[in-house]
Amino acid sequence: MNAPILSLRNLKKSFAETEIIRGVELNIFPGERHAIIGPNGAGKSTLFHLISGNLKPTSGEIIFNSLQIEGLTPQEINRRGLARSFQITNIFPKLSVFENLRLAVMQRHGLQYTFWRILSKVPLIGQETDQLLERVRLQARANTLAGELSYSEQRALEIAITLACDPLLILLDEPMAGMSHEETDYMVDLIRELTTDRTLIIVEHDMDVVFSLSDRISVLVYGQVLATGTPEQISNDAKVRKAYLGEKVGA
Amino acid sequence: MEYFIISLLNGAIYGLLLFMVSAGLTLIFGMMGVLNFSHASFYMLGAYFAYTLSPLIGFGMAMIGASLLVGSVGVMVERFFLRRVHNYGHAHELLLTFGLSFIIAELVKLFFGNFPIDYRIPVSLDFAAFRIGGADYPFYRLIMGGIAIAMFALIYLLLTLTRVGIVVRSAIYKPRMAEALGHNVPLVFMGVFGVGAALAGLAGAVAGAFYTTNPNMALELGVMVFVVVVVGGLGSLGGAMIASLLIGIITSICVGIDKSLADLFSLLGIGDWAQDIGGLLTLKLSSLASTIPFALMLLVLLVRPSGLMGEKEHL
Amino acid sequence: MKPMKFGFVLGTTLLLLLPLVLSQSLLNAAIQMLIAALFACAFNLLCGQGGMLSFGHAAYFGVGAFATLHAMKAMGGVGLLPTPLLPLAGAVAGLAFGMIAGWFATKRSGTYFAMITLALAELLHALAPHLKSLFGGESGVSAMRMPAWGMSFGNSTQLYYLTLIWVLASLGLLYLFTHTPVGRLTVGLRENSHRLRFLGYDVHRLSVLVFAVSAMFSGIAGGLQAVSNESANYVVFESHLSAVVVLNTYIGGVSVFLGPALGAALMTFFGYAVSDLSRSWLLYQGVLFVLVMMFLPTGLIGLISWWNNSKAQYGFVRLLPVAILWLFAVLLLTVSSVFLVELLQRMFSLDYRALASVNPVAPWPAITLFARPWFPGVATTWLPPILIFFTGCWAVRLARGRWQALLDNADVDASLSETAGDGVKS
Repeated sequence: MNAPILSLRNLKKSFAETEIIRGVELNIFPGERHAIIGPNGAGKSTLFHLISGNLKPTSGEIIFNSLQIEGLTPQEINRRGLARSFQITNIFPKLSVFENLRLAVMQRHGLQYTFWRILSKVPLIGQETDQLLERVRLQARANTLAGELSYSEQRALEIAITLACDPLLILLDEPMAGMSHEETDYMVDLIRELTTDRTLIIVEHDMDVVFSLSDRISVLVYGQVLATGTPEQISNDAKVRKAYLGEKVGA
Repeated sequence: MEYFIISLLNGAIYGLLLFMVSAGLTLIFGMMGVLNFSHASFYMLGAYFAYTLSPLIGFGMAMIGASLLVGSVGVMVERFFLRRVHNYGHAHELLLTFGLSFIIAELVKLFFGNFPIDYRIPVSLDFAAFRIGGADYPFYRLIMGGIAIAMFALIYLLLTLTRVGIVVRSAIYKPRMAEALGHNVPLVFMGVFGVGAALAGLAGAVAGAFYTTNPNMALELGVMVFVVVVVGGLGSLGGAMIASLLIGIITSICVGIDKSLADLFSLLGIGDWAQDIGGLLTLKLSSLASTIPFALMLLVLLVRPSGLMGEKEHL
Repeated sequence: MKPMKFGFVLGTTLLLLLPLVLSQSLLNAAIQMLIAALFACAFNLLCGQGGMLSFGHAAYFGVGAFATLHAMKAMGGVGLLPTPLLPLAGAVAGLAFGMIAGWFATKRSGTYFAMITLALAELLHALAPHLKSLFGGESGVSAMRMPAWGMSFGNSTQLYYLTLIWVLASLGLLYLFTHTPVGRLTVGLRENSHRLRFLGYDVHRLSVLVFAVSAMFSGIAGGLQAVSNESANYVVFESHLSAVVVLNTYIGGVSVFLGPALGAALMTFFGYAVSDLSRSWLLYQGVLFVLVMMFLPTGLIGLISWWNNSKAQYGFVRLLPVAILWLFAVLLLTVSSVFLVELLQRMFSLDYRALASVNPVAPWPAITLFARPWFPGVATTWLPPILIFFTGCWAVRLARGRWQALLDNADVDASLSETAGDGVKS
């Protein structure tokens, strides 16, 4: 049995009096695609914030790749191989699509304090950025300002930026939010392709997406994991049906 | 001992004046997310308006008149200037108010001259309230403190107990929701801006007679107000009060201390060494008094960046 | 040759040839313009590109000036820092001080950041008079320019070339900087510093680096000023200089690299040209700034691109009347408001008030403006400028209407050609 790549041990988070995350236990294994579902307010985004370093847990542990990361800054966590996307598109609006991606690519080449080289002359950066653009099929929009892209193109860019970090573990926060059916199908294929040799945790509300994309699903209700299992196990779980999925007619 | 009490009183009163100006600033920032750089200019205008009105309608009425005039200037600034650039973002609004403060200062210099003017307390108010340790304590200082406290109490009661106050607080906290509920939020914004300006104007009218009135007033006080707001936490009335009093009292106490760091070191036996180094170490605390608030601000930034009572920013 | 490159070559050649045509005093003005342009571009690195609005940038300019003066006194034109290399002292001082100040200031962002920079500058301003060995007290620090490298540096021409070389080199470096990885990250900081964290960047350290570089070039500008004036005084730390660089930068326009340089050069020039005629130059500058912020957010240099784009889109013939109308309106408004301001300024000046109070019964004496007497007590003094002002406002409305009509017509044309195209297809 593989060791988990991410472990959450009795993770808790309170904001003043209100406890949002009430003791989450979760193990994610390398290479799996793991979905987290649950009703609004269950704490899914908060969980992502905790894992990616945006928030400090009130108590509990987060172990990523054998390293304790709770309380580390977002940049430290990212450098160790964990990248996340955002539910509300979080890109660089007045820069071109190419520039957006290049900023993400630059970091992995250690260029963050380099002021003595012209960027366009540094080998590999341009190439890698172009390759990434191709993978998310945005190369036609390379020189468009990111703020002027269509909504679904921006979501694709959002994911591309997350990927540019070449992460071991990638967290996608509601990537399909606000998309039409066709766009969603397209995005699912894209995500499946892009995460072939990585670990993925995805928060989503679209059940079709969740069931078709993920290897395992965890159901988060009121800040605790109600159940974890394969899509089959989850859809047949009585507790989950009661709390979230709803009773199926003629199971 | 008397020195200490007098400094305490002076400092508290100066702190209360600072609070009158920074309260308006902090409310406006909490409401609109915009730092009104020209807020300290309202303070200056209050002094100058009062100075102009005083020979016409008497000192007391002039203070009220000046306050009302500055309030209407504030309303006009919000309505005709700020509203226009609201869509360009916070940095733009900040820059615009910066430009306005510049223009107001230049206009003051144009109409009143680039030197201090003779705005004074009327003789009827210029007497001693009591004596402490052989020195007279001016009655007017107590008036200043009293007015500041009265204003604070009035605003507090207004905000918490009246219907208007509740509407204002909801508009500050969640403007779009308040608007959806049918309240005229733009009007509320204009009103709060105007009241904040009027408060600053009143502070100027009151203080300008006692301290100096000159075209640089806005900047001198403005910087202090910003320090108060950084130390106390932007958006927090309580923080602003604590920070104002702290800064006022510490500055006041230090102004009379003619000792320097080198003197402190001499207590430890290394006085000569400190004297030789010179520079900062031999500067008397009394000369440094005006720089202490900045040191406090830098300290707060190191230890507790969101201010004494401000909300913590995300990592 | 591309038009941009051609423009640069032309501009540089013009600058190199200036001393042949300008008088010594105008050359001095040109030197000040160059220094202001460099300061504004250095400021823009932090402000327009990095999105960090600094209200106390004079601190780094001033620190550079004082450091250069001390170096001037110590070296005497020879040794490590001969006269032409003196601004390096300014660079080092600006860099060092910028790193320390930047470390504190960038702990917060946005509005807080602006306030902290202001407070830091004020702190320096308050401390400076007390640190006499560093800043020289009331009279400041002064030094003499010494001959070096075979030149005396005694006249404005040599000084001009020294300044020009430094400014061009610095602007070139600043421009190249924007194309380095850190330069690109600077814009990233402005656009979304939050996301940069999640991409593995230490945003605080990055911000300090950008702050320090901006302070370094500001220090060079200060050093050049010190070499040119041979003295500096703690007055340089006053808010005035910090305010003026903000005004200059935004009036010029922050989105183009040379925008701030243009704004600074223009404003410095006007300051010189107008300073004998009017005491209210700062007021005009402030009003221009507010007008730009409200109606022309891309700055004056944005006017150039507006003209080019509109010409391409609507055609020169249709654009010309609208442009002329705007020009006319602006002219009317400027003339009338300048007249009114100058009249008021003289009316409220101490001298005039003294003159008027000599004989309280007689009508107020005349004020001489543009070589004519104007009596403030008479309506015919006030009515014409006020009328012209309102005519200007009316002209603005006209211009707006014509511009809107132009836009609407273009839309109609476009939709017409679309439907015509559809018709052909089906």
